[in-house]
Amino acid sequence: MIERAWPAALVSLFLLSSSSPAGQPGAPNRRARFVDVTASAKIDFVHSSGSSAQKHMVETFGSGVAWVDYDNDGFPDLYFVNGAPGAPNALYHNNRDGTFSDVTRQAGVAGEGAGKTAYKTGVAVGDYDNDGFLDLYVTAFGPNVLYKNNGNGTFTDVTATAGVAGPPTEWSTSTGFLDYDRDGDLDLYVANYVEFPMTNSPFCGLRKEGYRMYCLPTLFDGVADRLYRNNGNGTFTDVSKQAGIANPAGKGLGVTFCDFDRDGDEDIYIANDMVRNFLYRNNGDGTFLDVAYGAGVGFDSNGKPQAGMGVDCADVDGDGLPEIFVTNFAEELNTLYQNRGDGIFEDVTQKAGLGSGFVPLGFGTKMFDLDNDGDLDIHVTNGHVIDNVKLYQPNLTYAQKDLLYENIGGKFRDITDVSGPALQVPRVGRGLAVADFDNDGNLDVVISSVGQRPALLRNQGTPGNNWITIRAEGTKSNRFGLGATITVETPEGRQVREINNAASYQSSNDVRLHIGAGKAKTISRIDVLWPSGTKQTLQNVAVNQNLVIKEQ
Amino acid sequence: MRGSIVFALAMLPVAPWASRSLDAQQTDQAKAAAIQERLKRVGADVMSRPDRANDAIRELKAILAEDPRSAEAHMYLGIAYRVLGSPEMIGEAVAELRQALELEPRHVPARFYLAHLYLNLGRATRAREELEAALAQAPGQPQFLALLGETERQVGNPRRSVDLNRQALQANDSLAEARYYLALALLDLKQTDEGIRELERVVQSGPAVVDAYVSLGTAYIEAGRFDAALETLARGTQIDAARPELRILMARAYRSKGLLDQAQAQLKLASSKRGASLASPFQQDQQVEFDLRLEQARLAAKQGRLDAAAESFQRVLDMDPEYAPAKRELAEVRKQMQERVQKKKPGGQR
Repeated sequence: MIERAWPAALVSLFLLSSSSPAGQPGAPNRRARFVDVTASAKIDFVHSSGSSAQKHMVETFGSGVAWVDYDNDGFPDLYFVNGAPGAPNALYHNNRDGTFSDVTRQAGVAGEGAGKTAYKTGVAVGDYDNDGFLDLYVTAFGPNVLYKNNGNGTFTDVTATAGVAGPPTEWSTSTGFLDYDRDGDLDLYVANYVEFPMTNSPFCGLRKEGYRMYCLPTLFDGVADRLYRNNGNGTFTDVSKQAGIANPAGKGLGVTFCDFDRDGDEDIYIANDMVRNFLYRNNGDGTFLDVAYGAGVGFDSNGKPQAGMGVDCADVDGDGLPEIFVTNFAEELNTLYQNRGDGIFEDVTQKAGLGSGFVPLGFGTKMFDLDNDGDLDIHVTNGHVIDNVKLYQPNLTYAQKDLLYENIGGKFRDITDVSGPALQVPRVGRGLAVADFDNDGNLDVVISSVGQRPALLRNQGTPGNNWITIRAEGTKSNRFGLGATITVETPEGRQVREINNAASYQSSNDVRLHIGAGKAKTISRIDVLWPSGTKQTLQNVAVNQNLVIKEQ
Repeated sequence: MRGSIVFALAMLPVAPWASRSLDAQQTDQAKAAAIQERLKRVGADVMSRPDRANDAIRELKAILAEDPRSAEAHMYLGIAYRVLGSPEMIGEAVAELRQALELEPRHVPARFYLAHLYLNLGRATRAREELEAALAQAPGQPQFLALLGETERQVGNPRRSVDLNRQALQANDSLAEARYYLALALLDLKQTDEGIRELERVVQSGPAVVDAYVSLGTAYIEAGRFDAALETLARGTQIDAARPELRILMARAYRSKGLLDQAQAQLKLASSKRGASLASPFQQDQQVEFDLRLEQARLAAKQGRLDAAAESFQRVLDMDPEYAPAKRELAEVRKQMQERVQKKKPGGQR
């Protein structure tokens, strides 16, 4: 049932007000191009890494970024996590005219409590109390913080009541909300990294002046992740051990959720740093089993663990099953694991044309339809972790260009160089999150960088292609429908997508699902499989609208 | 050689207290029995056939695909990665052993191998924790005592190391690693003759462990017994020709005997055989790099190639600016360089 639709009229406004290389004479083709609109959007946030002579590893981490429509006005707002202790996080309200306003102070989400002593890292967005307003969870090397959205533009730190701070010296990274037990409320997964001795940071690299470098994670023990079950009353219970996800072997950096085996519940994939990755199959009874060995998603094709950073899952080959994409260290390939549907994945990185990811060090990533042609493309932001890497490896740089891949029939072409000047700028990229912030029908990208300004990259669109954005509204299921599987059929084909905003690196994407419809004028059919198990079908739906589907 | 050397792998049989994981018991009995049989076979290979490590890893991964919660499979996999010895797998080795202990804390051998890895990573305190936990579960176990002794030596307690290794040898007089660690502790205590005697016994007992030859070669050189050193080190190269430490030490012995061309040839071999970078997590790899630079500097100085010597000494100091011998020798080289310049000036030489 269509509850309401956002007008797409703003498309024309933006096209008129921005200089569009695609519209200029001599523009190469109809390919989507990105323009850096950070300054014109009035986003002046600067990340603080807390870099020091002691070279604490956490200084390399950067912090995440989230799209969160905290006031439910249909325009995604922006939340930047800030790293160094005392450095404030920032919430920017989307003014619906291409600009943003800093509302951090009135919203109360700067991180002035635990954030004063912690290095803040990741962020999750979800409505944990099903009140219809998106809440924020901020992770840290130190206590994590849960901000409850009061629904009036302010938030309250409810961490202590909710019981989700974690131990005071635990180093948490990526995080996400999911309803793993399908009871209608959102649970919380927190990836943890290593035991790092802040007071006695080991010396790595040459002892020559300027040559000290950040240490490898191999020198430190991993820390088990945490899973918090939502008790439905504003509190959570740490069920990590009984759920089977408390593995101290992990050094988690990336987290994402997909129903890989299409059994109706969400599974969990963790990208670990220099140890094998985990794939936790949801057993449907509150427990998980790490099936990475059997599924073939723990290592690269040579059987070696990689330095996993960011991760996403989605169907890129059009067979209805989600693949896994993991970004990795410099001189490692970013890995695409193709889901064969029999519980086994195949590393198809090279075959899929993703070889150009070898030199850069990948972090945040998202698979999304950047040109609305009905398949998922890939964006990766890059940046090395060792600021003086050039002293050791002259072929590498600290700041690096992003990578953008266009999906052409399940294979990828590197289109970075032809996708606008915004992608030619080297940055120390970390977080990356995707949303159509201006509701013009094209997915835009925000990137956080270590110690730098973020970059808001506006997608200028691909003329002629249609789209639809779906905002799921759960009634029996969680309020924003996280975990719902949506199947969209048009005369051009069928697409299967999941509503999952937890992906990338320490970041959170828009909770709305955006689907490119190509040249189709109408969506023939939309099937929704809600986390509650409810199935719902819509037929003959108009394209180019923001559609809200309420669970029946 | 500065720093510490540990055995590449102590071939420890899995003790009978290594029990099956609880989860495996809950699976279908026939399947569990078949897996157990495969684990027994592959476990024996891991412990006794390092040449089959890659095959064992493949088999263990296959077992884990069927039974992801098999603590034994995780443990053997960690040990197999340890056997491979490559820096890129050391993190995975630690991870597997820690997962094995999370699933089954009674797997004491996992603690032993984990302690070995921690020592390789320069984390003696964590190694000690694991070994103390292992000894609490298996009191008096001689291999655990020996490795704890070596751990104590590495944190600066050679006397405690001597005590622990003597305890280990009392329990098992033929335990080569206990004798080896005892010798290292004795050398640290400047009981050189006794240390050399113990190392000679280790080498004569015939374990194919290069570290013993490296240590004995070092001890001979420091005692001025260059021919004995060269003979011992040459025997070491027959076991593992790829170990650069042997070549660096041979270069040192040749240089000490004034055979500079032979020394040069050995250093060339050492350079070509070292694969690890400074970024290697292995302490031993960084030590090799340091020793190679130092020997290159000293040989160049002896050959009168003062510019090259100065550059190499500087590279040594880049790794350790406080290393006094390199500072002293660099100063001496620079003094000689100045004297050369003086001599070249008109009227500087009479």
